[in-house]
Amino acid sequence: MKIYLIANIITCIGALAGFIYGAVRFFRPRTAVYAQMITFAVGCMAFGRLYQMIRILTVGDFANRFHLGVLGVIGSLMFFFSANFGLMDGIADDGSKEFRKYRIIPLSVSVLTGVCYVLFFLFAGQPILVKIASLFISLLIVLASYYNLKHLIFPDVEYGVIRSLKAYNLLALIFELLCLMEMITVSREQAVGTLIIGILMGLILPAVIISVERGIRKWSI
Amino acid sequence: MVNLEYILFTCVTAPLVLMYLMLPGRAKLVMGYMIIGIIACLFVSELNALLLPLFADDLVYMTSVITPITEEIIKALPILFYAKVYSDKRDTVLLIAFALGIGFGMFENAVILIQNISSVTITWAVIRGFATALMHGICTLSVGFGISFINKRKKLFYTGVFALLTFAAIYHGIFNMLQMDYKYIGACIPIATYIPIVLLQIKSFRQKQVMGKKS
Repeated sequence: MKIYLIANIITCIGALAGFIYGAVRFFRPRTAVYAQMITFAVGCMAFGRLYQMIRILTVGDFANRFHLGVLGVIGSLMFFFSANFGLMDGIADDGSKEFRKYRIIPLSVSVLTGVCYVLFFLFAGQPILVKIASLFISLLIVLASYYNLKHLIFPDVEYGVIRSLKAYNLLALIFELLCLMEMITVSREQAVGTLIIGILMGLILPAVIISVERGIRKWSI
Repeated sequence: MVNLEYILFTCVTAPLVLMYLMLPGRAKLVMGYMIIGIIACLFVSELNALLLPLFADDLVYMTSVITPITEEIIKALPILFYAKVYSDKRDTVLLIAFALGIGFGMFENAVILIQNISSVTITWAVIRGFATALMHGICTLSVGFGISFINKRKKLFYTGVFALLTFAAIYHGIFNMLQMDYKYIGACIPIATYIPIVLLQIKSFRQKQVMGKKS
């Protein structure tokens, strides 16, 4: 349980640092809503991890049971998805046939996530609430990673808005895959794996905010 | 005694309803939403009692995971209704959200008081009064903030409200867990959140006053 606690503390500190930095930089008048949404995504993660830390310290149970820390991951993925889907996708993709392959290739991550869910949760004898929560998270990983990968490979020739966010999209995609891997390691009670993922998340979450800041700075140049 | 919660509910709400009928405009709205908060609390207590056997009567799990979700959703619904049907003006939505949360917290305190009448102390009353009721008010206030965007930024509304519901449920869950072993730390959290909110309110009120004088 101590390793889980350390993993959560590291992720929480990283996410909290990213959230505070993002809040200071982006919550000003005339700042892109996109950046604010990504800041909220990182904030959700920080808050979810704070809950998990306190849960381990007070109640003690953490793995293989649904708890509110899961909502932090769900909220975070929802923001990552809706930022790219709601605010960015329409700018680059006009729906024309020439970009068809860029719409199909990202489905590979979605298929991978679906296969992982079926193998590690649906037919793995998990409690029903864990199955439902992991289904929600898997669906959101499918949606968020689809748009992150799409915007990573998309040839944004006209405006360059999405091209400037390639570093962010790569980091967000890695984060989403880490969420998937963390779900699996926690359900299989692999503490060392969870610790490694926790450290990586703690490093990636503040980097996400910095990459967004650098990306949106190019919009005005 | 059977139905003690309903006896308490009648005693508390009957005079408030009588007063509600005599109040003017904005005060009527605040009082109305406090009464709705009390009704929501009674409803949630019945709902949680129904859910408890589904979780093997595990009270710790219920209070740290399930009740924060049910309570925050039920409290958010009347605010969502008001914002959708009547007005999404932020000041009004925040005011009724806070009133609903406080009404909810007040009635919850009263119910817990009658359930533990032999063991309650003045310290218990101070913690419940200044922390628990305030926590309910702050949680509903944060959800109300998201709901006030219902007609303004529709793309952000759904994720925003979900995220704020998540925030409220996690905040509520953290508070409930800290009440088990770290009661005093838990009691400080709502007060530490309330003070900056009040300071911001005072600042915005003063700014409005200055703007009003200039115009």
